[in-house]
Amino acid sequence: MTPIISAREVNKSFGQQAVSKNISLDLLPGEIYGLLGPNGAGKTTLIRMLATITQPDSGEIFFNGNPLHPDHSQRMGYMPEERGLYKKMSVADQLLFFAQLRGLNQAEAKAKVKYWLERLEMMDWAKKKIEEISKGMAQKVQFVSCIMHKPELLILDEPFSGFDPVNADLIKELILELQQEGCSILFSTHRMDNVEELCSKIGIIHRGEKVMDGSISEIKRGNFSGKYDVGFHESMENTAYPVIPIKSWITNDGRYMMRFQTSENFGPQQLMQWATTQSTPMVYFSEYIPSIHDIFVATVDQSNTPTHE
Amino acid sequence: MSNFSNIWVIFKREYMTRITNKTFIIMTFLAPVLIAGFYALAIYIAVADETESEIHTVLVSDQSKQLKLSDFSNYKLLPAPDYDYPQQRIDSAKAYVNRGICYAWLQIDDKDLTVLDSTTLYSEQAPSLTQMESINQWISNQSKEKQLLKFGIRPTTLDSLDVSGSVRLMEISEQGVASNSSSGLKSGIGFILAFLIYMFIFMYGAAVMRGAFEEKTNRIVEVIVSSVKPFQLMMGKILGIAAVGLTQVAAWVLVLIAIVFIGGTVVGKQKMSEFKQQSSAISMDSTFASAGLPTANNEMSANSNPVAKMSALSDFLSGTESIPAGEILIIFVLYFIGGYLLYASMFAAIGAAVNQETETQQFMLPITMPLVLSFVIAQSVALKAPNGSTAELFSMIPFTSPIIMVVRAPFGVPISQLLLSLGILILTFVFMVWLTSKIYRIGILSYGKKPSWGDLWKWIRQ
Repeated sequence: MTPIISAREVNKSFGQQAVSKNISLDLLPGEIYGLLGPNGAGKTTLIRMLATITQPDSGEIFFNGNPLHPDHSQRMGYMPEERGLYKKMSVADQLLFFAQLRGLNQAEAKAKVKYWLERLEMMDWAKKKIEEISKGMAQKVQFVSCIMHKPELLILDEPFSGFDPVNADLIKELILELQQEGCSILFSTHRMDNVEELCSKIGIIHRGEKVMDGSISEIKRGNFSGKYDVGFHESMENTAYPVIPIKSWITNDGRYMMRFQTSENFGPQQLMQWATTQSTPMVYFSEYIPSIHDIFVATVDQSNTPTHE
Repeated sequence: MSNFSNIWVIFKREYMTRITNKTFIIMTFLAPVLIAGFYALAIYIAVADETESEIHTVLVSDQSKQLKLSDFSNYKLLPAPDYDYPQQRIDSAKAYVNRGICYAWLQIDDKDLTVLDSTTLYSEQAPSLTQMESINQWISNQSKEKQLLKFGIRPTTLDSLDVSGSVRLMEISEQGVASNSSSGLKSGIGFILAFLIYMFIFMYGAAVMRGAFEEKTNRIVEVIVSSVKPFQLMMGKILGIAAVGLTQVAAWVLVLIAIVFIGGTVVGKQKMSEFKQQSSAISMDSTFASAGLPTANNEMSANSNPVAKMSALSDFLSGTESIPAGEILIIFVLYFIGGYLLYASMFAAIGAAVNQETETQQFMLPITMPLVLSFVIAQSVALKAPNGSTAELFSMIPFTSPIIMVVRAPFGVPISQLLLSLGILILTFVFMVWLTSKIYRIGILSYGKKPSWGDLWKWIRQ
């Protein structure tokens, strides 16, 4: 399948500072891609290049297999992190303007504006200026303005920041709806709960480099596979371990927990056998599946070590 | 979507939001009224003879014994009581003026009036410059009359020797047709048109700058430039605002025509009868004057002579014959648009480059300087010598040509010069748009530190 958007070894610098270093990524039709990274990692720079706003210094970007061209922006939707609307313009005029900018003709644009105002129950506010409506409503207008033309690819920079929880849920709902209709979505965020809920694929960017990417299940099972958490009611300090635990801690409800790394010679079956044959009863046994948050923190920490400098 | 349709969408938004703005609508209808009122006031002040109606008594102590006391201006001259000693005369002058017995005391101690060096006017309030001038003139006229009589020449004989009327100007066209002309009228038209262009560039150039700046600070620009190229956004904005300006000027012209038309029909009927009376009185006066007889106006100086005024007015009006109205209009519209486009692109780049309105000031100077300079040149050189080499030079430089050329337009500009100047203007405009769009493209997405001239140069080279 041809990726809807694909970056090949993209580089971008501002003056002496390299902001994107050899970044490659692929987004297949219907996928939702989460771009993660600490502040200043270079997410927005990458997103701007994908959204045709700026050009890479080197490397290539393809849209549906063709080299990216500004005309492709008509088939994309884009919402930047820093958002704004014309304050003196009415809600309906504003939506009409953006729909026409994205290539819809007057009649199509009017029909779309009517559809979305009705769907968002904002018909009564259509003629109100942006400065006269609530911030929450303006947020809805902002989001709708970039999806009215039914884009094939939707690029959102920190879509959940600054939105109230009700609107954040609405956006989530709309993103999933667009995905069902075949739209591919790429968004940057630092909210891991949204990533787990929405994304099929993630990429982690740190200091301008992509340090990890892949499907969520792949990532979770990849580098982090074979770890098991075992819990007891009492401390196991004086016991001989089959392997050295990689981590041990006490939970709030008083369980003594240990995490073991299994291997070919010492698999989960052996671990369980050992645990169940101890004098203290085993009360917990589970494979450890890291959260995206843990993966993110671990990855960023790892790339902060001097070997990666 | 093609480049053109993108520019069109931006253009439409700029035009529609501005034209439906309440301030625009109010200014469109109020401004002509204000401008008309302003000019009416200016003309009234210039035309109305500021004479004080109050009659002032001036006591004249004439030691030359040569002066004939006659009233002039608003002065009533009476002989002052005579005293033998100079000090007595000064003391009583002070006393008379202080007690308000007279407005002023004119002490003439010169025996020979051809040289005034000990003639003094004692007054509590300093008279105006023109009032002092009229007193000097009064003494000088009387002195002259005395001298002339010595040579046996009567003043009326001298008056009859004065040349009446003024040189009429006839312009010969290339086809050899002569037509009445008026330099005054041409200068006036040229100057008004230049002023309109000057105003338009400043007003709407600033609107372009503010528009770009607002889009940048509102953060809306990033969404827009993901659909249109910054160049298209800039052009759509510049052209949209130009259309707003042209609409406004067209509306002003219509409103002004309406004011003149309505005002003309209402006032015209009243004034017509007054005018008829006045002109018959003038013709009577001039008949008397030519016959060497005294008339009611014979004390007026020649420059306020109503005959001269009327003939100047008729010359002025008949001068419209030689005004190439169609040509002026075409030149005006071309330079109006060309000048605006050239400057608006620079204003747009500034608006895009800065982060705060106060930062615009450092970049404004190089833009406003040529504009102000061309307006100064328009007022001096171009009006005095519209076809001189200075005027020709500045009507070729694209930054000054829009203003200088329209000043020259009523006097007739050779077509070769027009084409050359327009060509240079268009090329410069294209170059400037290319240059400024580079600044605009980077500036509009650059936030944070205050840009320097070095930054702008870096953006151009990127």
